[in-house]
Amino acid sequence: DDQFDNLNTDPKNPQEVSADFLFTSSTQALGDQMASPNVNLNIFRFISQYWTATTYLDEPNYNLVNRGIPSNQWAILYQNVLLDLENAKTNVQEGLVVSEGALSQEDIDARIAQINVLQALTWQVLIDTFGDVPYETALQGADNPLPAYSDAETIYEDLINTLIDADDALANGDGFSSSDVIYGGDMTNWRKFSNSLLLRLAMRISDSNPALSQDAANTAIDNGVFTSNSDNALIYYESSPPNTNPLWEDLVQSGRSDYVTANTIVDKLNDLNDPRRTYYFDDNVSTGYIGGIYGASNSYSSYTHVGEVFLDPAHEGILLDYAEVEFYLAEAAQRGYASASDAETHYNNAITASITYWGGSDSDANTYIAQSDVAYDSANWKESIGTQFWIAMYDNPYQGWSVWRKFDAPAFNLPEDTGNPVPLRYTYPVTEQNLNPTNYNAAAAAIGGDTQQTALFWDVN
Amino acid sequence: QESEITGTVTDNNNLPLPGVNVVIKNTSTGTQTDFDGNYSITAQQGDILVFSYVGLKTTEYTVSNNTTIDVVLEADSSELDEVVITALGIKREKKSLGYATQEVDGSAVSDVPTTNFANALSGKVAGLRINPSGTMGGSTNTVIRGNSSLTGNNQALYVIDGTPIDNSNNNTSTQMSGGGGYDYGNAATDINPEDIESINVLKGAAATALYGARASNGVIIIETKKGKKNTDIGVTISSTLMATSVNKKTLPIYQKEYGAGYGPYYDSDDGYFNLADIDGDGIPDKTTPFTEDASFGAAFDGQPIYQWNSIYPQLDTYQQATPWEAAENDPNTIWEGGTTAINSVALSGGTDKSTYRMSFTNFLQDGNLPNSEIKRNTLKFSGSHEFTDKLEVSSNISYTKTDGKGRYGTGYDSNNIMQQFRQWWQVNVDIEEQKQAYLATGENITWNPNGPSNLSPIYSDNPYWTFYENFETDTRNRYFGNVNLNYELNDIFSVLGRFTFDTYDELREERNNVGSAGVSGYSRYNNRTSEYNYDIILNVNKDLSDDLNLDGNLGWNLRRNGYSSILASTNGGLAIPGLYALTNTISPLEAPDEYDATKMLYGVYARASLGFLDTYYLEGTLRRDKSSTLPTDNNVFYYPSVSTSILLSNIVDTDWLSFAKLRANYAEVGNDTDPYRLVNTYNVSLPFNSSGNASNPSTLNNPDLKPERSKNYELGLEANFLNNRLGFDVSYYNNRTEDQITPVPTSDATGYSARILNAGTIENKGIEVLFRANPIKTKDFSWDLSVNWSRNRSEVVELTEGIENLELASLQGGVSINAAPGEAYGAIRGSDYVYNSEGRKIVGDNGYYLISDTNNEIIGNIQPDWIGGVQNSLSYKNISMSFLIDVQQGGDIFSLDTWYGFATGLYDRTVGTNELGNPIRNAVTGGTDSGGIILPGVTEGGAENTTRASFNTYANPYGYARDANKGHIYDASYVKLREVSLTYNFTEKALEKTFITNASISLIGRNLWIIHKNIPYSDPEAGLSSGNIQGYQSGAYPSFREIGASLRLNF
Repeated sequence: DDQFDNLNTDPKNPQEVSADFLFTSSTQALGDQMASPNVNLNIFRFISQYWTATTYLDEPNYNLVNRGIPSNQWAILYQNVLLDLENAKTNVQEGLVVSEGALSQEDIDARIAQINVLQALTWQVLIDTFGDVPYETALQGADNPLPAYSDAETIYEDLINTLIDADDALANGDGFSSSDVIYGGDMTNWRKFSNSLLLRLAMRISDSNPALSQDAANTAIDNGVFTSNSDNALIYYESSPPNTNPLWEDLVQSGRSDYVTANTIVDKLNDLNDPRRTYYFDDNVSTGYIGGIYGASNSYSSYTHVGEVFLDPAHEGILLDYAEVEFYLAEAAQRGYASASDAETHYNNAITASITYWGGSDSDANTYIAQSDVAYDSANWKESIGTQFWIAMYDNPYQGWSVWRKFDAPAFNLPEDTGNPVPLRYTYPVTEQNLNPTNYNAAAAAIGGDTQQTALFWDVN
Repeated sequence: QESEITGTVTDNNNLPLPGVNVVIKNTSTGTQTDFDGNYSITAQQGDILVFSYVGLKTTEYTVSNNTTIDVVLEADSSELDEVVITALGIKREKKSLGYATQEVDGSAVSDVPTTNFANALSGKVAGLRINPSGTMGGSTNTVIRGNSSLTGNNQALYVIDGTPIDNSNNNTSTQMSGGGGYDYGNAATDINPEDIESINVLKGAAATALYGARASNGVIIIETKKGKKNTDIGVTISSTLMATSVNKKTLPIYQKEYGAGYGPYYDSDDGYFNLADIDGDGIPDKTTPFTEDASFGAAFDGQPIYQWNSIYPQLDTYQQATPWEAAENDPNTIWEGGTTAINSVALSGGTDKSTYRMSFTNFLQDGNLPNSEIKRNTLKFSGSHEFTDKLEVSSNISYTKTDGKGRYGTGYDSNNIMQQFRQWWQVNVDIEEQKQAYLATGENITWNPNGPSNLSPIYSDNPYWTFYENFETDTRNRYFGNVNLNYELNDIFSVLGRFTFDTYDELREERNNVGSAGVSGYSRYNNRTSEYNYDIILNVNKDLSDDLNLDGNLGWNLRRNGYSSILASTNGGLAIPGLYALTNTISPLEAPDEYDATKMLYGVYARASLGFLDTYYLEGTLRRDKSSTLPTDNNVFYYPSVSTSILLSNIVDTDWLSFAKLRANYAEVGNDTDPYRLVNTYNVSLPFNSSGNASNPSTLNNPDLKPERSKNYELGLEANFLNNRLGFDVSYYNNRTEDQITPVPTSDATGYSARILNAGTIENKGIEVLFRANPIKTKDFSWDLSVNWSRNRSEVVELTEGIENLELASLQGGVSINAAPGEAYGAIRGSDYVYNSEGRKIVGDNGYYLISDTNNEIIGNIQPDWIGGVQNSLSYKNISMSFLIDVQQGGDIFSLDTWYGFATGLYDRTVGTNELGNPIRNAVTGGTDSGGIILPGVTEGGAENTTRASFNTYANPYGYARDANKGHIYDASYVKLREVSLTYNFTEKALEKTFITNASISLIGRNLWIIHKNIPYSDPEAGLSSGNIQGYQSGAYPSFREIGASLRLNF
């Protein structure tokens, strides 16, 4: 029997790996999925109307089913991110880590807190994509083959608590370091990242649950959020495959000409004389920046291409940045949350952070903000914050879509080819309809129907 | 001295026989008996008279001084005593078998040879379904009695001279699911048809139970030609040359009215052309929309347009406009004539103690596309020697070397030229001009560049660039054979010791030169596959009494399978164009993919057969297997079989019944699984930012697996009539496979996309009918007819709890192939139309059909209703002729080709006029000048649809943008004239003065005529690859007619 056993042991692949390997892998998988423009994986850059397609119009017209996009978003986040992180957690507890000597309880807790931060970010992306999702019963493999869906708002509350707890753990111990491809083990940055994420969650529910929003936001701000672009949570891609920014794979390596910038953002930036145009866009059209008609067939040569900075294989991927945090602070101040004051200052900081991140100067930012169309208008604060927040999220398109859903600003175009309305969520994966039908049906009923136009629980005003 | 000889010929019931041939041996003098069995013939003393009649033993009499010779012809008992090779090489009298087998003569696969000999079995064996995938040297799906495994291997096992032969298809899973790549064929193509003596197809579990787990899909047993004892050295030379040409009925029909574009979306005033200064005069010129791989542009009107040939400075046509018109040479003109040459020589002979045969065959196929060929050389030796009266040693060894070059790209990939020709094409592009452009420059001058300022290809390469720059090469060295030691202990017992081996090494190299669409690169894949079997078999054969015979075996088998492979590719492109080496990589190499596995199986088995009065037979077998792939506490499994046969013809004594046998059996077969399915391992990938990187696989393994089990019963009746001139063989079978080990898709929210489970039951039941007739038999003329028909019904009975559907493959276009409970295996799911209560399609307010919300509708099934074949053999004197008609009824195919091609407007179906007489591609106006079409159907309110759907862009109602998948499901039925051969055998007289003992010359043809089919533009047999994913065409290749001649000489 021993001989038979040995034959069935794979000599090429390990049965055990340290938590570090899984932590790195899941961070990269998360970064890839958030950055990728691949029409088989997501439509974030279309749905946020930053880009549009040249020839193949299904995706900018919000056809999600043809390429199984919801299934891919779902599978990548559950399998390649959440499961590996969950597995890393177990391995940390079992001492399967890259470490000289055994870990102290503080170091174990710090590592688990890092994992919790990335998991919280991922869960939020899942919820903001679909609404209710399997949570408590998820990731249990054979133990729970038919996971039930949990209420999205309840999960949010749980995530908020997890992040509040994470702050102490991150402060008191040493976490993953060499395998931390975001901060290289800098726990000060991890605390700010965790609190900034908490702030993101808190502000998302400012309309649906103002009390919790306020409490959580105050906690986050008091514990310390990002204060400059050097705090940004970024994925540092490498200059050669396979560890490049997925943008490069689809824009450069593929040799294809699938994308041009969309008129929605190009027109807006032209109107506002936005200094970020030089970075966001290429100057391939001699007559200026001309965005492709959103959702129509567009000749690649006639419209403005994506800026050169996005063609660098080592271009950083963004998980959460300082500009985003300042916009939340502006909203919190506007809403009168105790820990934030002066919405306009935060608003201006946010715009300045975005412009300087992309290469502009402080004076570029000042000139820009001085324009009446840009200057903060507290009477129409949703319009002001929504528009500028959306512009700033150009390379974090998933947030761009969320901003639009949250602030209902700026005005988006209807896709030219079909006139379909902008989705408020993804429909659930077809695989769930097939493989988890009872729970799927319950979830569809709970959220008010599995359609693109069912608003998420926080999308109430 | 000549005299008149007369007499009467009767059978053993003393009935006169009319029409008996009476010939003087070695002459052409002869006669026939009359209605009363009388004959008369003039002969000399010493002449030998030969009396022959179908179904009776040919008998000879020497003429002496008697002038009356009455003859009684005995029944030819060859049918009764016929010996066939069954499982494990055990020779059995056919009459004693309680299960269905069907023998095929070696000539059936060698007379009209093919690249893959399995293709030559198509239409010849009841219950055997053959599906070639359609590319040069491509794989062939060989399934007996339906798919019994949900996701595992369903291919029949080949056994040559007792050596099991690996028939894996090592194509990538991407290739098999339509994602592109090459079809490298399956390994049974290494079997050389010229060496085949006979084939016996074992269909059911009772027939194959002794092979154990692996034979659950049926077995094709092949015996090769051997030398004969006490014969002088004989030489056989055969030579075949075939010319192949494309069958136009399996190609697209292109429209010739509208050129490049997706619709009026571009720069010019009419929206159909782009504007760019091409001729250098500073004024923008009208150009084709180069990037647009579709033909929904401007109507051809002859106006000068700057087309692809005007923007390449390397071309004579640079900066020149050409008239806007349909290409003179459409892509159907790309097909060249191909040839296949097969030359072989064999030496054989024997002494009183030994036999030998040695053969060499050279096979050379030149494909129908440029730069494509397959070469195969086979060397084979068979020999035997009796060392003593009791000890015989025999051995068969084959060596085959196969070299392929320029196999055709498949699936949805730019290296599959059919992707552009069937799905994405501008009909204004002249393929001959593309050829000249490549040949003149050696560069990728494509019709599909990014634009005048960026000449690199956007989607499609120049096809000739693909042929000459992006070709693959492969080579396979294969050795297989065996050594047998047979020792007769006494009259009753003998022992056979056998070692068999089958090993091959394979190298595949794929290239994409710098300048192609996509990333350039080079990859090499090496794989090594081996199987070793050690068998010891004790044979018993004893007459227990005068009426009772015992025949049996006791055996022991150890099998070891090894697989190892490595795949390495350049990373990020090639640094130096045209240099295909791993070092020539732009970015540092990624780690190669490695696989290494060994599987061991240890089996013991017993078989006993009792025969009573040569009439009643009962057989039982039992086998115990132990497999390394199952959990140690669950890795032993037993399975029995019992079968019986009764020779009715020995019980019922009638004149008209020559032979009849009733048979029945029941068998169970267990099965193990692939290696490494018990415990999960991690996927390790290259470090990211110097940090180690590993992730969980997407499939969750299962430490609690148990063996699969299939239960099979079969009933059969076989009978011959009228002195064996008429016969049939009917079988009914039912095969149920339970506890299948299969990856079961699961909600990704579990963290995994699939779990390995013992899940699912599939049932196959069916009827097989074989009918033989010899309607005409005279001295000079005979006609033999053989018809086979089979119908298999598969049903996925259940999957594991909670799983309502098992997706076998998710394919481009939004369709999937599935095992769904209550359905036949291979349900095609996709989007369907929406129907009203009367089953009529509902048309929306916009004039287009409403489409189902999901892609879950069952819109077809890959299984045919029935298959069959009709073989006719006619001979007149020295001339013989045979032809085979091969039929499949039913089965469905989804065509990605029309799914995209109807949208891109390249097919003839996308032009024409509507009921107003206006071109359908004209704009919808609401007036009498309106284009567009009114789709047949009803509105949601129930009224007949009168809304006109626009047809002037790619988003027309026929193509992918607006149609349901259902609209691209086609019926796969066909009737084909599969084989024809016409042979002339030289008479002995003609050869008398030569050293040649036998000679024949034949005219042969294959796939000559598709008599009937229902799928337009393609061959219903074309597919992706062998395996479980059938019923899907993407960039399908046409079929090819083969016509040739062969010559055979013996001396």
